[in-house]
Amino acid sequence: MVENLQSGAVPVGDAILSCRNLTVRYGAVAAVQEVTLDIPEHQITAIIGPSGCGKSTLLRAFNRMNDFYLNVTTEGQALYRGEDLYAADVDPVEVRRRIGMVFQKPNPFPKSIFQNVAWAPAISGYRGDLKALVETSLRKAALWDEVKDKLGQSGLALSGGQQQRLCIARAIALEPEVILMDEPCSALDPASTARIEDLFLELKERYTIVIVTHNMQQAARVSDGTAFLSRGHLIEFGVTKTIFTRPARRETEDYVTGKFG
Amino acid sequence: MTSPVGPSSGNLPARRRMGAVLHVIFLAATLAGVVLLAILLADVLEHGIPWLRWSFLTSFPSRFPQQAGIKAALWGTIWLIGLTALFSIPVGLGAAIYLEEYARRNWFNTLIEINIANLAGTPSIVYGMLGLSLFVRWMALGRSVLAGALTMSLLILPVTIIASRESLRAVPDSLRQAAFALGATRWQTIRAHVLPAALPGILTGLILALSRAIGETAPLIMIGALTYVAFTPSGPMDAFTALPIQIFNWASRPQREFYGLAAAGILVLLGVLLTMNAAAIWIRYRSQRNVRW
Repeated sequence: MVENLQSGAVPVGDAILSCRNLTVRYGAVAAVQEVTLDIPEHQITAIIGPSGCGKSTLLRAFNRMNDFYLNVTTEGQALYRGEDLYAADVDPVEVRRRIGMVFQKPNPFPKSIFQNVAWAPAISGYRGDLKALVETSLRKAALWDEVKDKLGQSGLALSGGQQQRLCIARAIALEPEVILMDEPCSALDPASTARIEDLFLELKERYTIVIVTHNMQQAARVSDGTAFLSRGHLIEFGVTKTIFTRPARRETEDYVTGKFG
Repeated sequence: MTSPVGPSSGNLPARRRMGAVLHVIFLAATLAGVVLLAILLADVLEHGIPWLRWSFLTSFPSRFPQQAGIKAALWGTIWLIGLTALFSIPVGLGAAIYLEEYARRNWFNTLIEINIANLAGTPSIVYGMLGLSLFVRWMALGRSVLAGALTMSLLILPVTIIASRESLRAVPDSLRQAAFALGATRWQTIRAHVLPAALPGILTGLILALSRAIGETAPLIMIGALTYVAFTPSGPMDAFTALPIQIFNWASRPQREFYGLAAAGILVLLGVLLTMNAAAIWIRYRSQRNVRW
């Protein structure tokens, strides 16, 4: 069960991802400080907050992508279904296979559309029908109809919005339970953004989505729960509607109404 | 006089003059290199062309200029470069991959990097001395093409590593992150994405490094590559000579005819170098056509 936080009305559901007193430091600077949070399954959870508040760092803590940054230390716990992702016997490669990620700037591989989707399953020992898997994944990412006749073309030849959906398809092909999205629409035009937001609503039937966003309207439109971070601290976490209409904390209200940030 | 558009600029003519003068100076500096090269090339062509016949490529050296050819040296160079490539490419590329993709930033790796940078600037004669004591004497390889190739490999290794590292560094991190986030291991990421993306640059660097080895003479003289060889190497342990040594040998003879032979030898050497550089440019061009970030 999800524990109650300041705003009272917290999203209901079993937590798939949680953190307990999670602190992430770059050298001596703490980007995320003592954050405790439960992310419910099959929901879209938005993480909002001003630039540099640690939202992306918090997101990356959940699939151990912070491991690639220099001098990063992680304290406290990040849990996936109750298992500590930072336990000594946990292989980060396995973590990243189970918890997908989509980046801010679409980053398809400079290979064919088919290869983009098929590569990760192929290298992790997928034994089924790759062609079928590519089709299913592209369908789930609402891209199949646009690319079905040109699977051999380079993924880089697609438009920005299509590239981002290709990256989503690529993540989906591994059948993760969670997809982390780091400002996935910030490099896209409004029409492409709208398509991807529609896609989120379809995806949450099967997956749990955590999305970091700068765009408050986007958080309000697509997410079920919203966490507000400021200077590394979790200020408030609750049902999105509550956060945007009756936040419990003054700082949250100032941020969501545009008084700062 | 007041300017219609702003403060008066009375010194404008002087500033323009300065600009024009500098323009001419810079142009002259650029032309100096080109003109000198053209003169050099014209001189070599004038003396070398009459001697450049098919039999020149297929004959062994002789004390009769009309019968002398460059076969032994040409094949010696091909053997030398082939073996050098065989040794330096895996080691250079391996070191570059380690330093760029695996190594953490600590004092040990920093020390290695400083050393490599320094080695790249070490005079080639020093490598010749190393080759002489290490390969020719200590490892008892003798004055073989193998000893020569190992010496050349050492010589170009720093350049190979630096060029390969630069190509690896040019691969955007977003590509690595994409692969890592899909649960790929480091090697899977390097093998499938980083190396293919960096390969054109790596190949260009390798070819340029090998081109440098082709022209090197000092280390080969040091390890005792022969100047008169009337056979082509049939294995890595055979004695050999190489193009620059043969050219040097001919050029130092008193008879005028040998000067012509030296010029023809230079043309052959230039031909080999230009072919390799053209290959490097072609590889670069091919790869840039279909990759954009």
